[in-house]
Amino acid sequence: LTLPPKPIAAVLTLALLTSLHLPAQQPTPRTVILLDPAHGGPETGANLDGHLLEKDLTLAFAARLRALLTTSGISVIATRDADPTVPFTPDQRAEIANHAHPPPCRILHATPTGNGIHLVTSNLTPADDPEAPHTAIPWDTAQSASLPQSLSLANELGVALLHAKLPVILTRAAIRPLDNLTCPAVAIEIAPLSLSNSDPTPVSDSAYQQRIGQAIAEAVLSWRTHNPPPPGAAR
Amino acid sequence: MIPRYQRILFWSLLGGILLMAAFLLHGCEQAHKRLTALDDATPIAAPTSASTEDVTLYLANDADASITPTPEQIALPQEPTLRARTLLEHLLSNYALPSSSHPLQSGPAVDDVFLLEPPKSIPSTKGSRASRREPGDSAQHTGKMAVINLRGSFIDHHPSGIQVEALTLQSIIGTLHAAFPQLDEVRFLVDGQPHDTLAGHADLLHTYPAIDTTTHPSPPEVTDAIQP
Repeated sequence: LTLPPKPIAAVLTLALLTSLHLPAQQPTPRTVILLDPAHGGPETGANLDGHLLEKDLTLAFAARLRALLTTSGISVIATRDADPTVPFTPDQRAEIANHAHPPPCRILHATPTGNGIHLVTSNLTPADDPEAPHTAIPWDTAQSASLPQSLSLANELGVALLHAKLPVILTRAAIRPLDNLTCPAVAIEIAPLSLSNSDPTPVSDSAYQQRIGQAIAEAVLSWRTHNPPPPGAAR
Repeated sequence: MIPRYQRILFWSLLGGILLMAAFLLHGCEQAHKRLTALDDATPIAAPTSASTEDVTLYLANDADASITPTPEQIALPQEPTLRARTLLEHLLSNYALPSSSHPLQSGPAVDDVFLLEPPKSIPSTKGSRASRREPGDSAQHTGKMAVINLRGSFIDHHPSGIQVEALTLQSIIGTLHAAFPQLDEVRFLVDGQPHDTLAGHADLLHTYPAIDTTTHPSPPEVTDAIQP
């Protein structure tokens, strides 16, 4: 079972060339995104469609979105993958996000009122100089430094959803843990889809959710192109 | 062979039955309309000898997430805290109308409104969310603070959602700001206690600036950077 000397030499040469070539390749930076399916446990959120609870819908939509984002080469961190008995508090969710330091954060909500998708950013006042070195970041207003990026991210998400022919409303509100996040963050609230001359599409409709998920995945890829992760950021 | 008088009697009875059926159906429709009208929870204005005055209600619309100032004429008491409470009750009762663009359940919503003078100096509030301030706020506030004590029943029946809750708060703040320009900040309590959210989303521990909350959200803008 001995091989002739020429093939062995060829294989060794190929292996050597491969080993020399691999370190020269730069690994493709992977965008990390944090998904926070809101509510959970005894905190059920809104009652949708009679029997469907907001906590269940946000969890199901997060799973759908995770699959779409992972397929697009985006790593996903989630604050919950199941319905816990004792859910994380908003402050704990913010802690998870701030420690993971993902470039964008998405908080997922659903509501039986309104129409289309509501993209909500914090209503804090933007920090005067976000680049200024801080000795400490106030917890309650942590989002203020990232607010310009959050508004830009919400706009980019809105454009992607409009391209998918979904009605979008950009709005601002004081909600937790949005105000406590240091990453560019947007809360995505899914409302029933009411188009003229047709019955409203409920938020539980899987085709509707899929359209939203695909538009969000496209927007994240676009965001990654326009806002490349800084050196040393989470990959 | 059926006698003629029996045929006449038969057709007369049949005609009578049809007439009675039509009368009953008409009566049912009228009763249904009367019962439907009872669902209209429009508050009946109490008779008052006070003269009405112009106020501006900041009305919310769920469809486009807008807040629109709308002038109205109502009678209000002169005492400031009672005046604020009556104004807010009137505002929120508008949302109980069947034609409301921001439907809320009818019933009393505001227990009290307190108008507080600003403290001489603001003590350290480290670790407290209740007195949270935004960057750029000065340590000294010259205006008053309004503390709105909402009823638990109002919170329990409020629709849940970020936008719908934020619109309710903006509507309250805008209306109060228009009627009391000297107000600087607004805080909320529920049954006399601090409460985390309105219905699971909007932060009620936040101290809101008393500002004009007129809002008409604009659609997303396609900039050069995000051209497809």
